Amino acid sequence: MKISKQDVLHVARLAELAVDDAELETLTGQLDRIVEYVAQLEALPSEQTATSFHPGPAAVRLRADVVAPVPLARPPEAFAPAMRDGLFVVPRLGAQEDA
Amino acid sequence: MTPSTVAVQTAERLTAAAGLNATLDWSPELLATEATAAEAIGAGALHGMALAVKDNIVTAEQPTTCASKILEGYQSPFTATAVNRLRAAGGMVACKANLDEFAMGSSTEHSAYGRVLHPMNPDLVPGGSSGGSAALVAAGVVPAALGSETGGSVRQPASFCGIVGVKPSYGLVSRWGLVAFGSSLDCISVFGDTVARSARVLEAISGHDPQDATTFEREPLAPFVPRTDLKGLRVGLPKEYFPDDLDPAIRAGCNRTIALLRELGAELVEVSLPHTAYAVPTYYVLNPAEAAANLARFDGVRYGARRVGLAGDLRALYQATRGQGFGPEVRRRILVGTYVLSAGYYDAYYARAQQVRRHLALDFQNAFAAGVDLLFTPTTPSTAFAAGANTGDPVAMYLADVFVCAVSLAGLPALSIPIGRDQGLPIGGQLIAPFMQDGAMLAAADVMERHLDATGEVR
Repeated sequence: MKISKQDVLHVARLAELAVDDAELETLTGQLDRIVEYVAQLEALPSEQTATSFHPGPAAVRLRADVVAPVPLARPPEAFAPAMRDGLFVVPRLGAQEDA
Repeated sequence: MTPSTVAVQTAERLTAAAGLNATLDWSPELLATEATAAEAIGAGALHGMALAVKDNIVTAEQPTTCASKILEGYQSPFTATAVNRLRAAGGMVACKANLDEFAMGSSTEHSAYGRVLHPMNPDLVPGGSSGGSAALVAAGVVPAALGSETGGSVRQPASFCGIVGVKPSYGLVSRWGLVAFGSSLDCISVFGDTVARSARVLEAISGHDPQDATTFEREPLAPFVPRTDLKGLRVGLPKEYFPDDLDPAIRAGCNRTIALLRELGAELVEVSLPHTAYAVPTYYVLNPAEAAANLARFDGVRYGARRVGLAGDLRALYQATRGQGFGPEVRRRILVGTYVLSAGYYDAYYARAQQVRRHLALDFQNAFAAGVDLLFTPTTPSTAFAAGANTGDPVAMYLADVFVCAVSLAGLPALSIPIGRDQGLPIGGQLIAPFMQDGAMLAAADVMERHLDATGEVR
């Protein structure tokens, strides 16, 4: 076994993903099967190393660093739950924030 | 036929095809609006053509869910460049099409809104992840559709459904408005009932987009020059794609097509892509890694239907939102992706896979540099499989992508065309071309299509 239940819980915390106790067993088995499968990459002779590969243009040319309005079909007011003074109003999150 | 007439008839066909579960959103009213706009534009390369659009491509007029509960009811404030270009060419959005959640899957069984049925047999899957788009074209509801490919998600369902599926070179079509999954792999791609129609759609949506810095600064794809035969073309047959244990029906279909290629004047040569065996494991390291990073934004604060966790703090909110909002396959990929990127495992998995990706790309480059113009392979190792056959074993599902994902890792253009049938079910053949040789590939496929017995039994 490459993956334990503790590994799954650790990775789930890193990924901010709640995992139920009921599904932990199945998920651990499936992740172990996947990681075991992809571990075949270790079989490639180590002298066969190369730089990483990215498709697409060799040099990505960025847009000019100019503040410009994003073309939207509707203004933010139309899809935000609430706005005040041009800012999104969101629920207070948790007790650690000041009232 | 006027766009309005096409819209009315498309609405009738969409209603009749409701049992396929291939659509997530459409209405006669929206179709009528699309028709009015198309009529106002007048002539265009896609004048009056109704197209299905996979529901991970945003449209401002209707929800974009990615077939996920986490995006239920989400409506984008902007429209994808590819859709804007379809409309500018006179095309109409017929519907948003069902898919595997966030495009993760090979059967369209991983949709939060139910699986898509294969149009020829409801017990089978249409392939995936663009299964809704494929089923709608195969059922004759629309003549063409947009899908997306990360690792074969258009070619594989095209093969299962007996239609044409074209994945362009990476960087030919803008990703602006395609919900990101694997950013170094994602390509908006095209389904069509014929090669020529697929090509027209691809031409319309291609070209540089200032909103996507990974698109090439060049003109849109030009219409391909039709050929009468394949004389002067060298077609490579990669031996790794024809293993001894290849399904006999798939082999029979390929052998028949290889004979046709020869009759049409092509020179056939065996080639080797020696790192092919590493393609699926490489893909299933890099794809989850990119997915884990891209899907971090669905946290109930930036995007996603918010759920409040028991602890009442911010992390509990994130964990509850993501834990309840994502389905099983998305959760698996996020966990695998986070694992391969985590301290202690990064070099063994992610960095290693990035290196192997270079070898896979070099394999193709070497084959083309040796004088091969195109490669021909099977698209899938089997015909459409039964629903539920692979849902218990994620790796078995991943192996459905064995002939398609290396191309995605290399960023090359490829397409699937129907080459025959086995017990009534379609078999697909794949053409792979050098980078940015999309037009030459389409021209060759067009000739093949005219001579292939695509609906005849192969044995």
